[in-house]
Amino acid sequence: MATFPRPLVLRALLALALLVAPTAVGPARADETCNSPYMANLIKGQEDYLYVWTLGKAGVGDGSDKLVTIDANPSSPRYGKVIHKVSVGGRGEAHHMGFTDDRRFLWAGGLDDSKIVVFDVGTDPAKPRIARRITDMPKRTGYVGPHTFYALPGRMLVQGLSNAKDKGGVTGMALYSNKGELITTYAMPTADGGDGYGYDIAINPQKNALLTSSFTGWNNYMTSLGKLVQDAEAMKRFGGTMVVWDLKAMKPRKVLAVPGAPLEIRWSLKDGDTWAITAAALTSKLWLVRPGASSEWEAKEVATIGDPAKIPLPVDISIRNDGTGLWVNTFMDGKTRYFDLTNPEQPRQTYEKVTGKQVNMISQSWDGTRVYVSSSLLASWDKAGADDEQFVRAFKWDGKELSPAFEVDFYREKLGRAHHMKFGTRAAKAAYQAPLAGTR
Amino acid sequence: MRHRLAIGAWALAGLALAAPAFGHGDEARDQAPPARADFVPPAPGTYTLQAIMRAPAGTVVDLDGRDRRLAEVTTGKITLLSFVYTRCSDAWGCPLAYRVFDAVATAMERIPGLRSRVRLVTLSFDPRHDTPAVMRQYAGEQAARGIDWRFLTTRSERALLPLLEGFGQDVQIPAAAGGAAAGPLTHLLKVFLIDPRGVVREIYSTAYLYPEVVVADIETLGLERAGRSTTP
Repeated sequence: MATFPRPLVLRALLALALLVAPTAVGPARADETCNSPYMANLIKGQEDYLYVWTLGKAGVGDGSDKLVTIDANPSSPRYGKVIHKVSVGGRGEAHHMGFTDDRRFLWAGGLDDSKIVVFDVGTDPAKPRIARRITDMPKRTGYVGPHTFYALPGRMLVQGLSNAKDKGGVTGMALYSNKGELITTYAMPTADGGDGYGYDIAINPQKNALLTSSFTGWNNYMTSLGKLVQDAEAMKRFGGTMVVWDLKAMKPRKVLAVPGAPLEIRWSLKDGDTWAITAAALTSKLWLVRPGASSEWEAKEVATIGDPAKIPLPVDISIRNDGTGLWVNTFMDGKTRYFDLTNPEQPRQTYEKVTGKQVNMISQSWDGTRVYVSSSLLASWDKAGADDEQFVRAFKWDGKELSPAFEVDFYREKLGRAHHMKFGTRAAKAAYQAPLAGTR
Repeated sequence: MRHRLAIGAWALAGLALAAPAFGHGDEARDQAPPARADFVPPAPGTYTLQAIMRAPAGTVVDLDGRDRRLAEVTTGKITLLSFVYTRCSDAWGCPLAYRVFDAVATAMERIPGLRSRVRLVTLSFDPRHDTPAVMRQYAGEQAARGIDWRFLTTRSERALLPLLEGFGQDVQIPAAAGGAAAGPLTHLLKVFLIDPRGVVREIYSTAYLYPEVVVADIETLGLERAGRSTTP
């Protein structure tokens, strides 16, 4: 793993900012309020488990990427403890995950090896197991770096970050059946202002709208930051667009200019709302996407996150279930910030707290009273030395203050780098599983 | 076909306005009609419905208690199939599927050519309770409506399981403390659009189950079959 003294990282990020080309980043949809609208069984009460897709690190445990299960139910005697882990063998830059629509399976991807591991979390939610692996995505689709896993009914839409030909940022989406069979692919648009880049996916079924955002390709996200910023040509290869797609037709409808690497996309879940919000990593801005007065989709800069000159580097965001608030993690300063979204045209930061020396992903419970923060961004972008904390920290949120609930030190537990988090529950079980086993 | 599409658009304008009127006492099922989409669906034939998977094989039971191969009702016509259980009281579950099917049935009656080319299939995933007699009661007047709407069940859970697995239809039971099953069945509502070859071409769930979208997709498959799709 490449490591950098923090000043060098900071200089590098500033250079990136000046080039108005994005930078490091790696977050994605995290929590119960940010799942696909097609997903069943949202956990609106107490979550039982926290699944953490964890990057392996040489010399730490078995060194492999793994799915870690933490007991997240305060009523459990094992609350806050690691209760299970499944190693996938090898390191492939574990990054993001997504449930299938029935919440029985959890798809997880590696940005480096482009492998997808499908975990069965339905049979025994406390003990996920590997159900299948998809190892031929580059060969079958031409895309590499499976990033976002977005449930459609009976299918999984996977956003690539790069392509197998030149490993640049031009990429596309791959549509799989829930059984892991490739159905088709959709290229990101390169005409009418499109840069061809991809990052996140978010759907508003009521508007027949699918939104995508843009980051950069394998050549850049797998390159150490210090080396990358000295390559002027490479620095031009970052995304600065979002695309509104006709969901039914799966055709680009409009390309929106959103400079600075727009990353996570969150639709307001409030009935009647038709807006989405995103954070541009490099420019440290919040952008609002909604239909304008003429019903044409528009993107508008609506707020600044911290001091852009200091490159706080907003990464993951998490929206409240009623669309009135937004958590924003900023990697460089380790802050968890809360924005009042009562007026989405004018978000206001009302709270901030340093929750780690580096923070990336953030997940909240459906009611917003529990907040989870993890530490890792990308293996080659995480901080070095004492700043390289690797953890999951749980907090209680009373609307005024984040109070620590529990913490798992991922290095002390010999797990690796904690990245994406998803919730699990034991509240339901398959109705007809027992008869198959002849027990009913 | 263009003429038919124009009529279809006209007919759909009234689809969501008339609630079904059947006197079988299922209040949840007979609630207000499903919501209309907050968008204009793309015109039939201007987009592609992907081949998602082949409908599974299996055996079902009709209203007369006779065994039938599932393929008999998933091939030969454009088929809209949904799993339900008659005791379902979740307005956004089985009753919604029923109301959407009813709206599509209305379109089948109004749009020339649809009645003979489209089949509706309501299949129970609760074989212990939903016997053929119960399904007949559930069907009510629909069975005599003059459209091809099949109400089916299965002989047993063993016969049902391959169908659930094949379609990817989850059915769950809420778990009480200690993991014991408690409460009614729950499931994620899915409606499957199947082409005449028996290939699933679209799957709808509650978040995207609009009659006008379903009918546009049916017409898209019809155009495709006639070799008149305008997709690239």
